[in-house]
Amino acid sequence: CRCRALLSRPAGRLRARRDLAAGPDMHFGFQTVTEEERRKKIYQVFESVAKKYDVMNDSMTLGIHRLWKDILMHKMNPSPGTLLLDVAGGTGDIAFRFINYVSSVRERQLQRKLKHHQNLSWQEIFESYQKDKFNSLGDSQVVVCDINREMLKVGKQKAQHLGYSEGLSWVLGNAEELPFDNDKFDVCTIAFGIRNVTRIDLALQEAYRVLKPGGRFLCLEFSHVSNPLLSRLYDLYSFQVIPVLGEVIAGDWKSYQYLVESIRRFPPQEELKAMLEDAGFFKVDYENLNFGIVAIHSGFKL
Amino acid sequence: GPAHGRHCHREQGSGSGSGSGSGSGSGRPQPPDPSLLRFLVCPLSKRPLRYEEATNELINEELGIAYPIIDGIPNMVPEAARMTHKKPPAEGSEQP
Repeated sequence: CRCRALLSRPAGRLRARRDLAAGPDMHFGFQTVTEEERRKKIYQVFESVAKKYDVMNDSMTLGIHRLWKDILMHKMNPSPGTLLLDVAGGTGDIAFRFINYVSSVRERQLQRKLKHHQNLSWQEIFESYQKDKFNSLGDSQVVVCDINREMLKVGKQKAQHLGYSEGLSWVLGNAEELPFDNDKFDVCTIAFGIRNVTRIDLALQEAYRVLKPGGRFLCLEFSHVSNPLLSRLYDLYSFQVIPVLGEVIAGDWKSYQYLVESIRRFPPQEELKAMLEDAGFFKVDYENLNFGIVAIHSGFKL
Repeated sequence: GPAHGRHCHREQGSGSGSGSGSGSGSGRPQPPDPSLLRFLVCPLSKRPLRYEEATNELINEELGIAYPIIDGIPNMVPEAARMTHKKPPAEGSEQP
């Protein structure tokens, strides 16, 4: 198709350089595929699981993923006015938690303010409350960016259903090629998404680019369990139980087989830490949750 | 094949960002969140974009490409963009 060929022209030069650097063979779980095939397969996995994504997360992790995400939010400890970019944010779990968190911080701020206004008239207190009520998030904002249309659709519907609207926006974009300007965000998160990115180094560089100086990058992801006994149990659970759950709940064994394999192929804690440092982040650190089943990596842009 | 058809189809007036490409689009095009326009740039050149209300697209004048907004969500991947030196779909022009 002629329009396809024309369309690839402006991007062609950039793409060709990158593809040469990437090399032909990549992994999709335990299979070996080309870069292009991997992107396509991963897109299809999430297209297929999108509607059952949340249910599957609860079943597979016995609800513990909620705690992991809560811990991530507490680690972030955002104050009102924070601008957050949630990459691979699909169904909105991190975004909603962010909004809840800054709302409650904001509420406490307002209550403290009111307590100090003891000598004001009720009218003045009422007016001051009204003024601040329209700013219940304190100008905090979260942008959810995901490459998968189906995941974003589910996220947007959830937001409507749960009543989230203010301070929240949705963008279809690629973590490796973010459609955001430099030095814009206070925090950039990627929760259970970086494992599915084909060029992790590019995603990290992009995260660095869009962060303001002083900004923080937080990555929540499955990682490696070093304890041998626990590791054995974890393997058993992963390979025997999870794909079966996938088939029973989502009718999709293969996607969950991919999930489990992708976790095994993903770099361990120290390696990911080095990758963050390569991307330019400072004060890179990680925290293991549940003995390394999950880890939160953190880095700052100076 | 179907993928081929989809790309050409968009050129032939498949709709002013009403999401007809995905088959589940609402009747009227949804504009993007205004606060988003502060941060959004072209993913390729990282240069600013212009919001075109008529076609509900974000236009990179320099490269001559336009990113669609489908169901209120800007579609900021190069694969989704169209070339703007062709007539926009709203004018219903024919493209091979």
